[in-house]
Amino acid sequence: MSVVDRMAASAGVPTGFYTLVKREILRYVRRPRNTFVPPFITNVLYFSVFGVVLGDRVGEIIGVPYILFILPGLVVLGAVSNAFENASFSIFHGRWNEYIDETLTSPLSYAGMVWAYLLSSALRGVLVGTLISVLGVVIIGGLYQSVPVAQPLFLVAFMLVITLLFASLGIVGGLVAEDFDDLTMMNQFLLRPLVFFGAVFYSLGDLPPLLRDISLLNPMVYMVNGVRYGFLGVAEVDPLTSLAVLSGGAAVVVGLDIALFKRGYGLTD
Amino acid sequence: MSGPALEIRELKKEYEDVTALDGVSLTVPEGSFFGLLGPNGAGKTTFINILVGLVRKSGGTARVFGHDVEADYQEARNAIGLAPQEFNVDRFFPIREVLEHKAGYHGIPAHEARQRADEVLKQVGIYDKRDTRFDWLSGGMKRRFLLARALITDPDLLILDEPSAGVDVQLRRDLWDLVTELNEQGTTILLTTHYIEEAERLCDEVAILDSGSVRAVATPEELKGRGADRIVVELRSTPTEVPALLAGDDRVESVDLNGHKLEVTAREGGLVAPELVRELDRAGLEIVDLEIARTSLEEIFVEMTRTAERDATPDERASDAVDEDEPAEEQPVAPDGGRSEAVDR
Repeated sequence: MSVVDRMAASAGVPTGFYTLVKREILRYVRRPRNTFVPPFITNVLYFSVFGVVLGDRVGEIIGVPYILFILPGLVVLGAVSNAFENASFSIFHGRWNEYIDETLTSPLSYAGMVWAYLLSSALRGVLVGTLISVLGVVIIGGLYQSVPVAQPLFLVAFMLVITLLFASLGIVGGLVAEDFDDLTMMNQFLLRPLVFFGAVFYSLGDLPPLLRDISLLNPMVYMVNGVRYGFLGVAEVDPLTSLAVLSGGAAVVVGLDIALFKRGYGLTD
Repeated sequence: MSGPALEIRELKKEYEDVTALDGVSLTVPEGSFFGLLGPNGAGKTTFINILVGLVRKSGGTARVFGHDVEADYQEARNAIGLAPQEFNVDRFFPIREVLEHKAGYHGIPAHEARQRADEVLKQVGIYDKRDTRFDWLSGGMKRRFLLARALITDPDLLILDEPSAGVDVQLRRDLWDLVTELNEQGTTILLTTHYIEEAERLCDEVAILDSGSVRAVATPEELKGRGADRIVVELRSTPTEVPALLAGDDRVESVDLNGHKLEVTAREGGLVAPELVRELDRAGLEIVDLEIARTSLEEIFVEMTRTAERDATPDERASDAVDEDEPAEEQPVAPDGGRSEAVDR
């Protein structure tokens, strides 16, 4: 029995719920080549190409060097895509190989199952986001200036909410998918366009008014601006509004996840 | 626990235009060894999957030790250990950890889960493979592991869905010994099987399920009593005609003479034989040999399910399409070309 097991038991965490969370976390922690190395490499490339090579040509945006401007967006991109991918893959792979039956035939409540998948997936998003942040601190700090964390509470709150939101969307994806191609499609045709039009690489102020208004329909804009506010203390969208919108969205999708599990959508015949 | 192990009333399952279960009613007493026999597509796996929450019923009620499988699903599922036909096992972890996880889901603390995992692995004889992942086990070991996983939670109701399918004789006998012992210790066992010998040997009571309906519920002996036995009497000399024997005994179905062998087909052959011997003696026919071939449960099973097939409506016959041994539709293919854990994200 590990120290963590003992702490969970003494904190009164239900054993069934704790076991599922532990199983889900161990699955990705034991496979860093699949879970942590790819975002590390990808972000070294992003920082190198967009920050170092092209950054000097772009100059400053909203008063900060371009490489620092894109850091929050890259953190959001890594965090939400990993939270989404973890939840969707775990659910779908379990359905595909039918080992999700081990969970479904257990006495865990449906809400307990959903929260276990959510928290473990959100944690993966937070871990990857932290990894990218540390990478940013090292690269930007070494080449330009130290990376500030102007609003740490906002940063933590946004990281938790956005990873939870995308983990909950990932559960829907994992339940709806009928093939591995469906998961790839969701990533390529939904997640990536949202990210690239989500003010990760540019300022909303650089857009014409119509496109700026349309951009406000993209939840990624609120996420990127929220995390940017956490790091830099500046944002183009009110951070409290962003937090409220994202929290509301997360609550709705988590409710949907639980309803789908109760109904057995994609899980039972 | 309260009530019988299983109390099933008018249980129905419909898949669009196919009826998989058509009003099944059954009671399985606590502590019994109950067999569910039926051909492929009879609805056995659908029935079991409703109990554990993998299939949603269309109608009727199902209770496990008094707990409704939908309203009280947590209590119902906690009472059940299932060894399914499919190898639906977590491929990411060594089998000992898979067992620990399963135990944990049922609320068993980590230190106790490890201990129990080791116990059940020893019980089914694959303890030395504890650090191996499921994919690397042989077919027989996989089957043993499924039993270990069902036992890890110390269930009150152990459900074995075709446990002997594709296993060798030794494993089958080991399995029989193990489940018999568990049953003697008080575990209720529900066994589905194609192997009639298995049901005959192990079960207190069996239900014959066919095309989604229960055709009979009885002890194996009672069921065999419903079939006709064959009494073959070898005579010293060949009679010139079939003697008029056992007239008026409604248990007798036929009397045939084949050379110097007399063949009598009758229910309760063991009781009919002495009377037959007396009548042959009175008729002056000397007996050289007498043999009673008892009807087998298998013959009864085949007869009952054949009769049912003849009587079935087109809808019932369509339910055979829902065959638990065959995939209902083409399965999509993973990028790794199969259902392996090589796909990892």
